[in-house]
Amino acid sequence: MSESGVLERTDATGRKAALRCEGVTKAFQGVHAVNGATFDVPEGQITALIGPNGAGKTTVVNILSGAMNCDSGRELIGETDVTNWPSYKIARLGLFRTFQLSRELHGLTVLENLLVAPADQAGESLVNVLVRPGLIRRQEREHAERALQVLDTYGLYEHRDTRARELSGGQKKLLEIARAVMASPKILLLDEPMAGVNPALIELIGGHIVDLKQSGVTVLMVEHNLNVVEQICDYVIVLAEGRTLATGRLSELRENTDVVKAYLGEVIDAGAAH
Amino acid sequence: MLYYVFTLVFFCFDYFILAMGLNIQYGETGILNFAYIGFVAIGAYFTGVFSLHPAGHSGQHYILGLGLPFPINLLLGGLATMVFALIVALITLRRLRTDYLAIVLISLSLVLYDFCNNFVSLFNGADGLYNVPEPFAKSLGLTVNSFIPFFACVTAAVSLLMWFVMSRITRAPLGRTFRAIRDDEVVAAALGKNVFGMRLKSMLVGSFYAGIGGGLLMQFGGSFNPTAWLPGETFVVFAVLIVGGAGNNIGMFVGALLVETLLIHLPAFLPEIPGHPGLIEYFDNAVVGIVLMLMLWFRPEGVVPARLRRTASFGVSARGDAEPDLTIAVAAHE
Repeated sequence: MSESGVLERTDATGRKAALRCEGVTKAFQGVHAVNGATFDVPEGQITALIGPNGAGKTTVVNILSGAMNCDSGRELIGETDVTNWPSYKIARLGLFRTFQLSRELHGLTVLENLLVAPADQAGESLVNVLVRPGLIRRQEREHAERALQVLDTYGLYEHRDTRARELSGGQKKLLEIARAVMASPKILLLDEPMAGVNPALIELIGGHIVDLKQSGVTVLMVEHNLNVVEQICDYVIVLAEGRTLATGRLSELRENTDVVKAYLGEVIDAGAAH
Repeated sequence: MLYYVFTLVFFCFDYFILAMGLNIQYGETGILNFAYIGFVAIGAYFTGVFSLHPAGHSGQHYILGLGLPFPINLLLGGLATMVFALIVALITLRRLRTDYLAIVLISLSLVLYDFCNNFVSLFNGADGLYNVPEPFAKSLGLTVNSFIPFFACVTAAVSLLMWFVMSRITRAPLGRTFRAIRDDEVVAAALGKNVFGMRLKSMLVGSFYAGIGGGLLMQFGGSFNPTAWLPGETFVVFAVLIVGGAGNNIGMFVGALLVETLLIHLPAFLPEIPGHPGLIEYFDNAVVGIVLMLMLWFRPEGVVPARLRRTASFGVSARGDAEPDLTIAVAAHE
């Protein structure tokens, strides 16, 4: 278990960092949402980012994915410094994300949502559209076949021709993960993938996340459901007031008085009250 | 009679082209281009000055005067519009979104209008350009009456060619990425799409269509002046798009037929109401406004709504033995 050093934490998992966040800060009109967050996300593992409401978890995910610029600090993907790169460039390095509130491409069908994801599509070039329709058709067919397989895996096959806005909340969560999978991610940031989802679906999504890990994807997930964290996450980062409070395995963190006081205690108390 | 019919045919196909250009910008990519008529005017003026011979002692004042034949002047007019769009896009598209972009673009339209109106040496100021040569009129020996049907057919042919090209774009992954950006540009960027680059492409393609549509207007009438492109004219093209059905190229033809042809131009050919000369024409814009409101209220998707692209259209067949996933079915009814 560690409370400060980056190297110490990667040693704790015995793996190198796929994603590194060094002293990142972000303030909104003087309010520090993130205040020096420092952590590593170990390669090929599922890491949970937990903390009380307002700890800065979503802001960190937004900064890491390029949706928001940080005020100071550094972000590294592998050895590449990607601090304040735009999202599309970060995505091209293999880092993809889902959103706290599902953001489906509502006017497109479920299948089309997945077909947007693959990189380097020949048909996105105006010249190719005009002079190489055969190449585009071939590539579209390949992508569509793969997309149908992914939809099948995620239980959305029957909805492939449905407009994405017509899906239920749980299905939209699955669609977001399936869409990110279609982009062949190396690192996947999941912002509360289990929020507002029924227990059966939680188990299903959890299973898919474990499958992703087994296929070599590094996962960082913001999650409040500690049962899920306990069951599927290898490593936990605790944020509080925009800082990294502690990192390690959940079982170790339960012994940490600072963590219990800042977050776990609240959760345990809330659980007891029910 | 034939003159009237072919005039209507011309306007229908010309506005089909204009609406396809606005559709790719707004209907497909979500760029609220309230300066669209300004791009049409740039296309018209440049097609004119590429076609006219040097001003000399003609009594007109304009730049260039290259005396190029049709359709080279038309293509160059379209390209000139793209260059203008590139400058506008580099200034506005990177930082501005939705309503802020719309405000800047409508302001740009007003500035452009005043500039062309007052800077006489550019496009002959408020008088506009006139006596622009009619394409093929001399070589084919066309008279004033035979030119109208001829050029209406040329415009129809050009519009069908441009519809074919536009259909390719909108059905390709490029069109899908445009629609993804329209739906949620943050998601599109998170999926690795260069939103600015894509919006720029959409802006340029749409502007080329605006330029060609404007150029054809210039060639059809042989003249073009600021009264033809008052900034409010942009909303007529928006009416075509909304009535026809944003996001559907066929809808653009239907919109052009219903709004531009039947509501705007047909009334000009109707007999006058005795004692009230010009009254019918004055009602044009009011009727368009009412139709627009009714459409937005009762059928916002337009007469021909955007079509979904189903699995089979990607060249793959859906498996027939798929069983519904009960877990998901439960979730669907939460």
